Amino acid sequence: MRSRSLFVVAGATALVLALVGCGSAPGSSETKSTLEFQTGQSVDSVFLKQLTTITKKFESANPGITVDLRPSTSSYESDIKVRLASGNVPDIWWTHGWSLLRYSKFLVPLQNEAWAKDFNPALAPAMKNSHGQFFAFPVDTDVAGIIYNKDVLAASGVSVASLTTWDAFGRAAEKIAATGIAPITVSGKANGPAGNLADWIASGAYSKSELAELSSGTFVDAPYTHVLDLIAAWKKESLFNPDYVSATSDDMSRALATGKAAFAFSQNTTAGDALQYNPKANLGYFPVPSLTGGKPYLIGGEMNAFGISKTSKHLKDAKAFIAYLAKPANATVLAKAAGSIPGLTNVTPDLGVLQASYDSIVKPGKFPLVPYFDRVYLPNGMWNTMVTTTDSVVTGGHANVAAGVSTMAKDFARLDAQTK
Amino acid sequence: MSRTRTDAGRRTGRAAIGAALLAVILLQLLPFYVALTTALKSRTDLSSQWLLPIGDLFWGNFATAIRDGGILRAIGNSAVVTVAATAIVCVLGALAAYPLARRRTTLNKAVLLGIIGLIMIPPLSILVPLYSMLNRLGAINTYWGIILVMATTQLPLAIFLYSSFMRSLPIAVEEAAVMDGANLLQVLFLVIFPMLKPVTATVVILAGVAIWNDYALSVYVLTDPQVKTIAPAIGAFFSTQSSNLGAAAAASLMGFLPVLVAYLFLQRYFIRGIVAGSER
Amino acid sequence: MTQASTPAATVAAATGPRAAPRSARLRTRGGGLINLLYLPAVLLFVVFTVYPLLSGVGFSFTDWDGYSPDRAFVALQNYLRLFQDDTFRLVLLNTFGYGIGSTVLQQLLGLALAVALDRPFRGRSAARAIIYLPVLVSPVIMGTMYYLLFQYNQGAFNDIVVLFGGARVAWLSDQTAAVAIIMVVNSLQFVGISMIIYLAGLQAIPTSYYEAAMLDGAGAWQRFTAITLPLLQPAFATSIVLNLIGGLKLFDVIKVMTGGGPGYTTNSVSTLIGVTYFENQSAGYASAMGIVLFIIIAIFTLALNALLNRRRLEQQ
Repeated sequence: MRSRSLFVVAGATALVLALVGCGSAPGSSETKSTLEFQTGQSVDSVFLKQLTTITKKFESANPGITVDLRPSTSSYESDIKVRLASGNVPDIWWTHGWSLLRYSKFLVPLQNEAWAKDFNPALAPAMKNSHGQFFAFPVDTDVAGIIYNKDVLAASGVSVASLTTWDAFGRAAEKIAATGIAPITVSGKANGPAGNLADWIASGAYSKSELAELSSGTFVDAPYTHVLDLIAAWKKESLFNPDYVSATSDDMSRALATGKAAFAFSQNTTAGDALQYNPKANLGYFPVPSLTGGKPYLIGGEMNAFGISKTSKHLKDAKAFIAYLAKPANATVLAKAAGSIPGLTNVTPDLGVLQASYDSIVKPGKFPLVPYFDRVYLPNGMWNTMVTTTDSVVTGGHANVAAGVSTMAKDFARLDAQTK
Repeated sequence: MSRTRTDAGRRTGRAAIGAALLAVILLQLLPFYVALTTALKSRTDLSSQWLLPIGDLFWGNFATAIRDGGILRAIGNSAVVTVAATAIVCVLGALAAYPLARRRTTLNKAVLLGIIGLIMIPPLSILVPLYSMLNRLGAINTYWGIILVMATTQLPLAIFLYSSFMRSLPIAVEEAAVMDGANLLQVLFLVIFPMLKPVTATVVILAGVAIWNDYALSVYVLTDPQVKTIAPAIGAFFSTQSSNLGAAAAASLMGFLPVLVAYLFLQRYFIRGIVAGSER
Repeated sequence: MTQASTPAATVAAATGPRAAPRSARLRTRGGGLINLLYLPAVLLFVVFTVYPLLSGVGFSFTDWDGYSPDRAFVALQNYLRLFQDDTFRLVLLNTFGYGIGSTVLQQLLGLALAVALDRPFRGRSAARAIIYLPVLVSPVIMGTMYYLLFQYNQGAFNDIVVLFGGARVAWLSDQTAAVAIIMVVNSLQFVGISMIIYLAGLQAIPTSYYEAAMLDGAGAWQRFTAITLPLLQPAFATSIVLNLIGGLKLFDVIKVMTGGGPGYTTNSVSTLIGVTYFENQSAGYASAMGIVLFIIIAIFTLALNALLNRRRLEQQ
């Protein structure tokens, strides 16, 4: 037995040494360059699959370059932040709406690339800085309104064309609530959907001059109070899903898909996910009513975009790869997989179930397209404050409005100072 | 008469205990059952979690987990990382515990307390500096990097368990060996280590399971599918935009099987080792 | 599992009465050189834990956002902010709730299970194995499965409620309920460890003690309080330390079950550090939280250690 124990110890030590040896063995030869691409997509997503197919074609056309597509987890954002903090930056990464505000100091400007002439102007407010630079290849333009389940609205006799003011919206929602369905589905658990609620409404709550004040670094209280008051009123009428706190984004899509909810303030990917649960779900979207009595609007901005690290050792290859993705044929496939409007103007949209809404609402250009409120008018880092303050109003109602507004003002001042 | 009454009372008592025990057992099995029904249903099957799918079982989630999720590769990676890191934990843990158990100077008491204190550090408060250092060492996405990190996170607990156990061993054997002229290493390898089998089983199970399942640090250190372990691989079914619960459940079940087998194999040693001092 | 077959027991039997008292020190040639044996472990700690921890202390004096190259020195500002932060205070209370609550629950349930599973019956080892099973699963997965069970629309528990004519319950929407549910889930997952520890402790108690007590006419409850509980003392120490650490560090289950909500109200300090570090982009502040948590837990452990040691001395 003695010798057996010794044998085990010796064996284990040998194994460890062998592994350490393997691990530090030199990698592949230097002539080939490998690009690390953090895609931000889940491992079995349609988007990643299309990206993989296109990448394989690129690799066979460019034998000197390998592109290492990495799927990621729900901790994508912190993963990227850790990598930026440590200097181990991937060559290319998914910028999830933050190519300008958060990541531009780490990214290469791309406005001089050949494909950049077709950059969708609708993305300019969100993606371009004052020098006309932009920092990521936009796969799609995120044009979002309020997603709705057509069957649920029809069953309650609500016409979507009538939902042009928040009053009309509130009345319609109460009508739907009377049928036993919670009209608005929001996930309180995911770090986002609650913020979207305020983000969607806030764009129409501020006047032009008030927006200018925000941009110059002063928080304007009154309009934000109106935003949270509106949300508190919905809470009072029990218009939110009863499982708000514990619901995930996944639960939102499932509720929309199964007719357990009527409305979602969300990007169109939510509609795409809903179809995974129920391919026959009858979904659409409509423009967001304005709180100041202006025209209803759509919200647009950066959604899926890929930026190149300015410290990448293979800058030329990375640019070649991005240019390949930007070819109309490839960009069409990617935009379709993302389920949204292409980020380049020379690419044809294919929106599946939402095509009808696109054709009737977006294409005619009747409604203004406004940028995401927080990304353009609030300092970087405010998003989480926006989520938590809205969250406190959805759970606590009117009592938490004043505190929410003052938290917003306080963090606005703190983060504005930090970014300067 | 009174005798039959107490018998009846005892029988009811037993039945009550049996029923409570059964309830706890069923409760403990429930999550596994739900994982199974979730894994065997397609995404469009929204029937109750209690029910197995109507009609044929759906194996697509397992296929997705293997093909897209690379779960088999991840299981292999987890096996390598877990075996190697656990071996380091056992060897270094036992070595370190010996002086801490047998030479109770003020310094050593402080060292032991400090090591136990290390168990308390939340992984997130060391994440960024640790990652930066691993990056400088070229240890990101390598087996050896994650093996050393995992070994370090599990060592304090191992040292705690080994040193408590050693303190419960009679010192006379070691003294006799020393009197017979054995040196320190001989005492360690020939006298002490052979006695550590039960506590080693405990350390292997506790540390092995923790390493096998680690997510908090592995998800950052391992992003390359070639070296990714099981927990981050399952995590890859959840992105910020969408998730695939069925495939994740299938992957979890597959990732659970090897641990289950290892546990069943080790459990007979396990109970003996966990409590120091119960062996006298 | 017989006592005599374990090496320790065999050795103890062979050496018999010559066994030295526990506090004796082994005299080897070389004296302090023996301490070299813990050097490799300490080296690993210094490189992979202590050094990163100290870097974290450095961050805690800055306003770093967690990823940008630039940061400004703000002295003690983050620490001062911590003392006025209501959220931090609430979350600290939660953390102790999770730690102490799960520890108490696991001791009660674990001891009860150990006593029930100590006497032989058919299927005993299967029962033990099943109760231990959840320990083998990653807390992320266990939490996700329980999340599914507690879901509002699709959850298995609500299906039962509806079956009996009730209205669906939003289980995790209320702070108190959510904290309690998380605590119970954590306790159920790890109760197997406590059970095993107590089983081992029970097996070490000689049956002759119970036989003697029965001759003296002691009832079952009296035997339990007079013999079982006092002799389980070392088992208590191990089990409490393990469970307390697990409860205080609780992270994954909270993340997947409530994400810390409603609001911040179900966060533990560990999850709050994550949110503050990455989502609020206040890495400096989050580092300060980590340091304070570490100090608090260290004091806690020292106190507990002293208490358990004193108990042990009284026993001898």
